[in-house]
Amino acid sequence: MSEKIIITENLVKRFPVGDGEFTALNNINLSFEKGEFSGIIGPSGSGKTTLLNIIGSLDSPTEGSATVLGHRISDLSHKESAFLRNMHIGFIFQVYNLLPVYTVFENVEFALILQKRSATERKKAVMQALEWVGLENMADKKPSKLSGGEGQRVAIARAMVKRPELVLADEPTANLDAKNAHAILKTMKTLNKELNTTFLFSTHDEKVMDYLNRLVRLEDGEVDKDDIVQPKYMV
Amino acid sequence: MKMALQMAFKNLIGAGLRTWLNVSVLSFCFIVIVFYNGFLNGWQKQGRLDAMNWEFAQGQLYHADYDPYDVFTIQDAHGSLPEGESQHLTPVLIQQATLYPNGRMNPILIKGIPLDQKVINLPIDLLAKSTADIPVFIGKRMAESAKLSEGDQVLLRWRDQYGTYDAANITIAGIFDTEVATIDQGQIWLTLDKLWKMTGLTDEATLYIADSQYQPQPISGWNFQSLNSLLKDFESAVQAERIGSMVIYLVLLGIGLLAIFDTQVLSVFRRQREIGTYIALGMTKNQVLKIFTVEGGMYSIFAGIVGMVIGAPLFYYTATQGINIGSSAEGMGVRMANIIYPAFGPGLVTGTLLVLVFSAKLVSFLPARKISKMNPVNALKGKLS
Ligand SMILES: Nc1ncnc2c1ncn2[C@@H]1O[C@H](COP(=O)(O)OP(=O)(O)O)[C@@H](O)[C@H]1O
Ligand SMILES: [Mg+2]
Repeated sequence: MSEKIIITENLVKRFPVGDGEFTALNNINLSFEKGEFSGIIGPSGSGKTTLLNIIGSLDSPTEGSATVLGHRISDLSHKESAFLRNMHIGFIFQVYNLLPVYTVFENVEFALILQKRSATERKKAVMQALEWVGLENMADKKPSKLSGGEGQRVAIARAMVKRPELVLADEPTANLDAKNAHAILKTMKTLNKELNTTFLFSTHDEKVMDYLNRLVRLEDGEVDKDDIVQPKYMV
Repeated sequence: MKMALQMAFKNLIGAGLRTWLNVSVLSFCFIVIVFYNGFLNGWQKQGRLDAMNWEFAQGQLYHADYDPYDVFTIQDAHGSLPEGESQHLTPVLIQQATLYPNGRMNPILIKGIPLDQKVINLPIDLLAKSTADIPVFIGKRMAESAKLSEGDQVLLRWRDQYGTYDAANITIAGIFDTEVATIDQGQIWLTLDKLWKMTGLTDEATLYIADSQYQPQPISGWNFQSLNSLLKDFESAVQAERIGSMVIYLVLLGIGLLAIFDTQVLSVFRRQREIGTYIALGMTKNQVLKIFTVEGGMYSIFAGIVGMVIGAPLFYYTATQGINIGSSAEGMGVRMANIIYPAFGPGLVTGTLLVLVFSAKLVSFLPARKISKMNPVNALKGKLS
């Protein structure tokens, strides 16, 4: 029996809209185990990003609970949730959100500086992470000099460099062509296998789904389907 | 803190032109503030020093009736100190008189001081060389306004101790050059012995100039004026100028700070995704806020560096060569040398820098405070209103 690193119980998220409220997530009961390579799928507006943000402690549930790596998200102080993200959770976004004034190396290094790791330790870890994504020769480039595929690979390196337990990837392939999308998915799948990092995607991209072991389908903020699947592509 | 500094530094350098615009405005402020304060410091320092060396020494003991601002007190304000009280004091006798250069009537003061005095720089001992009947010494301003030159003879009319008018030709035996207009304009200097003889006021003085060993003690009929009290008017003129210049600084600083404020407001808005990313990467809002605040403070550090690089030659040149303000200040009745050597101390430079850094940090902090209310999810979406 594997360890459950994400548990949501009767999770509800409402947003104030005008005079009333909009229920973006309704009664979500899910759990994810260590090492999963799963995805939240569903049409646009179904609540995928909202769920990922709560799991990533960037937001908190209106009702019910989300417990991530043993922490109840709604109980965490701002500082504690920052610490949780810094130490244990990596984010990958649809837009890569690289810091434009930093080099590739510095972008990846950032999380480790926050962790107050030593310079030698950082250098080693950053070069390793860049190697995972095949960008060890781009360390000194600025993000503006990178192609879209390269940018997203830097973002993966940045998420992975601290070897987090959990990586949350919100539509990571939405801005990529098929070739680059496959490349980064293969990279992530490999890291998932080698480091046993748990990946949770949000996507409506078929290409992504072809790599996943489990598809949780949201429809209007509710879990519509939750299937273990045989991925089309293996690494 | 080190990380905040490094990040702020990178962000500012990365922001390029905008940074340098802010830095130029601020460094201009820096240069103006340092320069003008240096000028005022120099003026004040020189004014004090000149007044001390040429006029007041360590203070003056006034005859009780003497009021330098009221010429009508002068004729009768004289006396002599009790026996043994005149140690470390140099007597000066002042009388009213009228000078007739080229037939024009010119009311003046005549001042007598001992030939061998050492207490002020006035080189009265030069009069010893003169063979004239009444040799006098005048300043260059007096010489100019009365159109007198060395060797000229001119008619002087004065009153003796009984109020009887007396007149004689005096000889301009020397012209001295001083920055202190108050021992120059509208007066002539002669030896005390000669003035005593002319007026019959032997052994009497209007005031005594104290040297550094003088210990003031109450003497009836005489009032001691310390150097500081004698310089009070001058100091308050400098002070008034400092306060007046504050207005200029505030306007300049206001413009510089407004530029930073504006940048920050825009930054907080335009850099939402960046802020959201910092938070997603595990920074606390306070850490992000700190970076933005440090960025603002860093503008002023850059400005200080740029200001020093540009300003240093200017400061150095003016401090060594002086600024020739001509005689424009004399009409203002303010003690001011013709050439002012600005004084730029390290305190002035660092003090100005500290004010800049602190105020820049403050105006950066105010808009950046918005970060602490930001919802990271919205920030990441770049959706902040
Ligand atoms: N801050 C918010 N305020 C109001 N409504 C929101 C907010 N965030 C998301 N929503 C709404 O919640 C629903 C789910 O959004 P989201 O989680 O972004 O969907 P997805 O990622 O599946 O496209 C959408 O209808 C969206 O408009
Ligand atoms: Mg989404």
